[in-house]
Amino acid sequence: MKFNLLAIITLFISVLSFTSCTEDDEHKTLAAGEVSIEFDHVFGSNQLPFTLNTEFTHPRLSEKMTFSMFRYYVSNVRLKKRDGTWYSVPESYYIVDLGVNDGTHLHLENIPGGEYTDIEMMFGVDSLRNVSGAQTGALDPAKGMFWSWNSGYIMLKTEGTSPSSSDGSFAFHLGGFKGANAVPTVKSYSLGKLVVDGDREAEIHMVANPARLWHEADGLAVRSKTHMPGAVAKQMTGTFYDGIVFDHIHN
Amino acid sequence: MKTYGIIKKTLLFFGLTVFFSCQEDRDTLQMRYPGYFPEPVYTFGNNKLTSEGFLLGKKLFYDPILSKDSTISCASCHAQEHAFADHGTALSVGIGGKMGSRNSPAIVNAAWQTSFMWDGGINHIEIMSFAPITNEVEMAEDMNHIIQKLSRNEKYKSSFQAVFGKPIIESQQVFYALTQYMAMLISDDSKYDRVKQGKSAYNEEESVGYSLFIQKCVTCHPEPLFTDYSFRNTGIGSKSNDTGRYKITLDDRDVHKFKVPSLRNVALTYPYMHDGSIRNLRSVLDHYSEGIRESDQLDPSLYKNGKPGIFLTEDEKDKLISFLNTLTDFTFTTNPLFAK
Repeated sequence: MKFNLLAIITLFISVLSFTSCTEDDEHKTLAAGEVSIEFDHVFGSNQLPFTLNTEFTHPRLSEKMTFSMFRYYVSNVRLKKRDGTWYSVPESYYIVDLGVNDGTHLHLENIPGGEYTDIEMMFGVDSLRNVSGAQTGALDPAKGMFWSWNSGYIMLKTEGTSPSSSDGSFAFHLGGFKGANAVPTVKSYSLGKLVVDGDREAEIHMVANPARLWHEADGLAVRSKTHMPGAVAKQMTGTFYDGIVFDHIHN
Repeated sequence: MKTYGIIKKTLLFFGLTVFFSCQEDRDTLQMRYPGYFPEPVYTFGNNKLTSEGFLLGKKLFYDPILSKDSTISCASCHAQEHAFADHGTALSVGIGGKMGSRNSPAIVNAAWQTSFMWDGGINHIEIMSFAPITNEVEMAEDMNHIIQKLSRNEKYKSSFQAVFGKPIIESQQVFYALTQYMAMLISDDSKYDRVKQGKSAYNEEESVGYSLFIQKCVTCHPEPLFTDYSFRNTGIGSKSNDTGRYKITLDDRDVHKFKVPSLRNVALTYPYMHDGSIRNLRSVLDHYSEGIRESDQLDPSLYKNGKPGIFLTEDEKDKLISFLNTLTDFTFTTNPLFAK
């Protein structure tokens, strides 16, 4: 009986230690879940909350602008795990669209459970998908973000009105994937600690600033329309993408 | 793959035109072309070629449902009897009588094309039709509206489901179906092809014309597809404000350059040049022989002995035209598989 008691105690201790072990973060297997990326938009260096159909004054240009459309592509999202390896989100193409309900909220589904330290994303659409024929989802040409006459995605599309423009309106359809004026830009951000575990939705907050399109570019009095790839598209998207920052996360 | 290639090439000597194969999968349609053709650029990839897909694409091609006011179909400006170029008009008429600015190109051996449109702005056959469908002076329609119209039509709805096996119609399926039809518009049964295969022989005029062609024209129009798909300024562009390839590349060297068209069925695709400004083949040869205007971007191959132009005697022009007529493929222009 003494032997049996010892066996029971040993078993009890080992079960206890096993249980405590599974509760430890280091060893626990976390369930796959959703990561969402919310793009918040502000205008200018004083960070005014940005919305469509509201008049803003560009701080550098002192030009009034009212936006009726603001859309841009985000693609090729990757997440860096605590162990240093990367998880690439499959078929990762999204349009951030301020004109539709929930359009600034990207939903990345079925992300493997675990702890992530960094996120990488491309602003724009990679060159391969610009030359691969008819696509679906966010890349469907019916979304109005593809040039019919000069194959390629419109990677950022904004339109609106301004008294500074000679005809009262502005329209910038910016893109291009070839050569020195290729628009797509990969950026990575350190997140600290992002935990993906089943139903608890992890949310990454980014901040983008539409005023940054004119951080260096000519004002609307000089140029109010661009509908093609080229140096203007490269410059305007470049300063806009450069100003997209990571803000905070909700785990 | 190599064995497959050999088998494929062997088969080509038996069946020169497109046909529906019943060997393995009764729905599978195969691309057939002669062994002396290069491998096509477009090989269908994710877009599985089937007889139903081809027929759906043909139905869409001939249906004005793709235009805003249901008056214009693809076939309005791409007629089989003209090797899928327009009906002898210089510039094509779109909805509401609006005029386009360029001549409708023939749709012939499109699966071998490396780019589309006179300026090569379109990089893939699957999205080629997106341009004329949405262009304000052509069909002026919106893809989302087309999908609504097709989804309301029970026949189309069931055809799309049968071909693509998806519950809803998406733009990709419309583009895929149109591509199945257009990529199968293969012209390979002209007299030229029959001579090439030893089934026919050139007459005296054609034979001399062929020799002249080899001497004077093949730099830009090499056999067997009769184009090198490059962009060149042939001295026509200076007559118009259309800057051509430059609009796509924004490279100053590309001002007034346009794509070299295939010469297959050239006798049927009049009028000629990107703007349809030359009425007939004789006048085209006159242009190259003595009509070229000098300009900074004029193609270097059009200079002979420091002067612009490829000089041809009147007799040489006659013979060249005799040869060019051997590129007409009536099997292609009368093939019931391609007809409405």
